[in-house]
Amino acid sequence: MMEIEATNIAVRFGPTTLLEGVDLVMRPGEMLGLIGPNGSGKTTLLRILANLRAPEAGRVRYGGRTAAEVGARELARQIAYLAQGGTVHWPMRVEALIALGRLPHRRTFQGLDAADRDAIARAMMAADVVSLRGRTMGQVSGGERMRILLARALAVDAPMLLADEPIAALDPLHQLQVMELLRTTARHGRGVIVVLHDLALAARFCDRLILLAQGGILVEGAPARVLTDAHLARAYGVEVVRGERDGIPFLLPWKPSGTSQGAPP
Amino acid sequence: MANSDWRSSRTVRCRRLILAAAALLLAAPHVRAADAPAKPQRIVSLNLCSDELVLRLADPHNIASVTWLSRDPKNSNVAELAARIPVNHGLAEEIIPLKPDLVIAGVYTARTAVAMLKRVGIPVAEIGVPMSLDDVRRQIREVAVLVRERDKGEAIIAQMDAGLASLPPASRSARPRAIVLNPNGVTVGKGTLVDEIMRRAGIANVAAELAIDNYGQIPLETVVANAVDVLILSASRDGPPALATEILRHPVLTALADRTRLVVLPGRLWNCGGPAVVEAIERLRRVADEVRGEAPAR
Amino acid sequence: MTQAAPVETPRPWLIPPYGLLVVGLSVLVVVLLGTSLAIGYVSLDLTQAIRDVLSGQSTLAALVLIELRVPRALLGGFVGFSLGISGAALQGLMRNPLAEPGIIGISGAAAFGAVSVFYFGLAGALLLALPLGGIAGAAAATFLLYALSGRGAGTMTLILAGVAINSFAGALTSLALNLSPNPYAVTEIVFWLLGSLADRSLPYVWLVLPLMALGWALLIGSGPALDGLTLGEDTAKSLGFDLGRLRFQLIAGAALAVGSAVAVTGAIGFVGLVVPHLLRPLVAHRPGRLLFVSGLGGAALTLAADIAVRALPIRPELKLGVVTAIIGAPFLFSLIYRLREEP
Repeated sequence: MMEIEATNIAVRFGPTTLLEGVDLVMRPGEMLGLIGPNGSGKTTLLRILANLRAPEAGRVRYGGRTAAEVGARELARQIAYLAQGGTVHWPMRVEALIALGRLPHRRTFQGLDAADRDAIARAMMAADVVSLRGRTMGQVSGGERMRILLARALAVDAPMLLADEPIAALDPLHQLQVMELLRTTARHGRGVIVVLHDLALAARFCDRLILLAQGGILVEGAPARVLTDAHLARAYGVEVVRGERDGIPFLLPWKPSGTSQGAPP
Repeated sequence: MANSDWRSSRTVRCRRLILAAAALLLAAPHVRAADAPAKPQRIVSLNLCSDELVLRLADPHNIASVTWLSRDPKNSNVAELAARIPVNHGLAEEIIPLKPDLVIAGVYTARTAVAMLKRVGIPVAEIGVPMSLDDVRRQIREVAVLVRERDKGEAIIAQMDAGLASLPPASRSARPRAIVLNPNGVTVGKGTLVDEIMRRAGIANVAAELAIDNYGQIPLETVVANAVDVLILSASRDGPPALATEILRHPVLTALADRTRLVVLPGRLWNCGGPAVVEAIERLRRVADEVRGEAPAR
Repeated sequence: MTQAAPVETPRPWLIPPYGLLVVGLSVLVVVLLGTSLAIGYVSLDLTQAIRDVLSGQSTLAALVLIELRVPRALLGGFVGFSLGISGAALQGLMRNPLAEPGIIGISGAAAFGAVSVFYFGLAGALLLALPLGGIAGAAAATFLLYALSGRGAGTMTLILAGVAINSFAGALTSLALNLSPNPYAVTEIVFWLLGSLADRSLPYVWLVLPLMALGWALLIGSGPALDGLTLGEDTAKSLGFDLGRLRFQLIAGAALAVGSAVAVTGAIGFVGLVVPHLLRPLVAHRPGRLLFVSGLGGAALTLAADIAVRALPIRPELKLGVVTAIIGAPFLFSLIYRLREEP
């Protein structure tokens, strides 16, 4: 089983430093949420963890090895990445698109074997897109497209799933379904890192949260530990109202806090 | 005026334009088209074929300029005669400052220059493309009259006729079949000078049989399929490459080598209507004899 | 956030199985090859000629077949294949349905490369120099294009870059022809800009075939990566594809295929635009599968155009690019019309 370990990551764009001194360890079996205000570096950090971008300082190890040591193909089988925005350039058939998730497992020009088809079927069921089977990508709604792309990522059958804002375009029903799906995936022994904007959902579904703000990790840990009024005021500049239902606490961003974003409380 | 160098600098060209303008202002009232009964003393030729006639007929002192093409021995029959004559590139601004009293041009060449020269009142005579040996004789006479060297013209024609008469009569039977192939696959058909030259040499022009009139394009397939005895290429195949000449080096022509004789005849012999056509006939007659000698009795 | 591609909604039952499509197109190409051999300027008894060739007799019919018609047919097939597959590959790389070797300037630059080599005698010393010149021109243009328009750039940037490269390459080609020592060169620009299969010989075919084949292999090998690129660069990378290597592979493959083709036949336009576009719905928009199929379609289109050029009673023979432009330009108009809503 592999783990992702990031040490002392720094991200710089020219003279500006976005992140500094970021340490992170992620193991399969939990769901980790990356939260933080706009521009705090969540997507960039996720891309670094997925080996899509090199950090300006620090390093990332996968099961103790660097990305180069693991190899691009092996890494592709270990980490599934779901990009932000849901770009699809050609209106392929839904099933063919989901099958792209099996590319890391196939040799060039090799067709799909039984294991591939099984993985695709499971992914489609989990993402609830079986009914969209016969359509093309030009014939689905925005929310359906997101679920199809999630199915594609699930089809990789990788121990780690890194998703960048997977629920951005979804209606409430599907937002809940996708978050539930991601949590189930984590429960079944995979690791899920998800970048989220929605604090309520992050609080409810994630096992662990990392709050990025002001150039680094502000706080990390269980949601109860991270989502304190002080932290939220400092990172987001908002006040929340809290409640409880069925023994599960929830919170709602309510109004801008007195102190502005970034200033010490 | 010295040699006009077409690469002249802008200042020299400007100077020439100013001179030309001055020349126009001064010369215009005095020069009239189709006038001047006296012998022309500043003759300019704007065309390779008229170059040859002018150089052969007129006194070098009376020739102001011929085209630069006539100095190239590959394309010109009179390269040595042209060596000491100033050259032009067919541009009006080179010609006008020379104050010519006679300009001879072809009907297809340097059209804009000729129009300009006519407009400023310089006498211009145009000679066409000869389509037969009679045309050639007529042209020689015409130019001889223009340059006031009638006797010389008759002498050249007499020499040509003597050369033709010295050839034994062409065989009427067993005429080798031939096609002329020019760059771009152009051939010569019925009613052209080349056609008559071939006839006089005792060679059957297959292009004429194929009802190609004047100059036309003949596809290589047709050349191959017509089983000719002789393939006459009237351009050099070596030299700077171009697609037009690549066609003359097509492997299919080499593959025909065992049944078709490939003859390279310099185009200069028959591109213009001059005494060189007799040499063309002589050479082709020899080729015809060789082919007939090799062929089994027909 | 689907970009550029007009939304096609093919009905599933119109999409044939891939294998059937390949076989069908292959049969079409073979039929057109045969027709190309059968049509020409002299009436040829094709069966007799084939028998003569096989029995080693060099009759006139055999000569016409082997030296004139076979090179023309083969070249039509190979060049068409190169243009079709390159069009599909470039469209996959740039994620833009208007990318095509002719429109975006690769063919024009290849023509310049070939002209520079041919007319100045460099191909005399080494015949291979001719296609290499074309390849160098094509590679330079593809490289420049990629640098100018970036990856997945908008249509306007791509087309403008293509216009710039085409204008520049055309001007340089004309200049080179003017400076060439052979006086016929100046009039030959029409061949280089419009293309023609006439009077090419077998040595040229064998000369360019290995280079083209190498280009085809590089392009076909990039199929899975192009499929991955459908989801954007990040996702493609996460699926294990090396994007830098993919770009190099596509640029090199297109340059080899188009460059050597243009060096021998001039720039034949629109084949790489029309064919992938027509066939894309038939492969359910999968860029990887489109490659080989576009090659076959390109071969078919080029052969058909070449047959038309000889069948039409217009002499001298029309340049091939005229026919492909007559087909392709209206097609391009309709494509632009459909894309007009996109940014």
